[in-house]
Amino acid sequence: MTGRALDWLLAIAGGVLLTLMTLSNAVLARHTDALWASWAAHGLGAVVALVLVLTIARRKPAPGQNTGSGARTRTPLWYYLGGIPGALVVILSAVAVNSELALAGTIALMLTGQMVFGTAADHLGLLHIPRRRVTGTDLAVAGCVLAGSVLIVLGGA
Amino acid sequence: MLFFVLLALLNGVLIGASRTINGQLSTRAGAFRASVWNHVVGLVFLSAVLLVLRTWPDVTDVPVAAYAGGVFGALFVAVNSYVFPRLGAMSASVLVISGQVLSAVLIDCVQQRTLPAPIRLAGVALVLLGLSLPRITARLRQKEIQKCPTEQK
Repeated sequence: MTGRALDWLLAIAGGVLLTLMTLSNAVLARHTDALWASWAAHGLGAVVALVLVLTIARRKPAPGQNTGSGARTRTPLWYYLGGIPGALVVILSAVAVNSELALAGTIALMLTGQMVFGTAADHLGLLHIPRRRVTGTDLAVAGCVLAGSVLIVLGGA
Repeated sequence: MLFFVLLALLNGVLIGASRTINGQLSTRAGAFRASVWNHVVGLVFLSAVLLVLRTWPDVTDVPVAAYAGGVFGALFVAVNSYVFPRLGAMSASVLVISGQVLSAVLIDCVQQRTLPAPIRLAGVALVLLGLSLPRITARLRQKEIQKCPTEQK
């Protein structure tokens, strides 16, 4: 299997993990509330991630192993703060879900926002990521997946 | 209404930003350390919010299995941080979302023991079509090249 195919499968597997996470976090939120559920999930996630580092990833990767782009410079502080926008989503999405948008509308718009951001980030090289040319095929793929996802979300079970 | 639409869109942007930043950190510190930082920083932030709001729910009768989300979350952030810089923000987002919605349909099917509604099946077909588009276009291009081998450089 080529490295590219493996990356594809890993990314899709990541999406499956995300579904499983959402499923259990929803149970937790039903018994408590969304904010507390997210807090507990972050706490437990921190412990689990730490255990993973100590057991299977003790060695730090060699600098520039993954991208080789300017890895010799110091790591900017904001590289460590990805958890803040992630946690903010928990609070803001609770507000949106309670509006007229309801759950389905909120999720559909959140997926759209993600796609637009991903496209803009690649095209413009936002947040220090290397610029990538966005091809017509890339846009068609994103369009199909987004349209299909919105149908799934709005289509009910 | 427009406010909430923009808010929901902004949420998507924040998710994208969070995953991209974690991906950047993974190129320096590794995917698993990126997952630790994501969760620790998020935990500190949410603790501050909880302290300000002072809302502590009753947590006595929560099934233990409900806490499994933390495990999935830790693995997800590690996997996602690994693939984001390798695939690019757009492709990685597209693939993660595909895996997310397809597995959600499958889990709903198993839990409710029914086939998905037609509109959902159409959605699944569209997602699968989107994922196979690069293959299809590559094959079409190959055929074109084969048709006129003299023009091949």
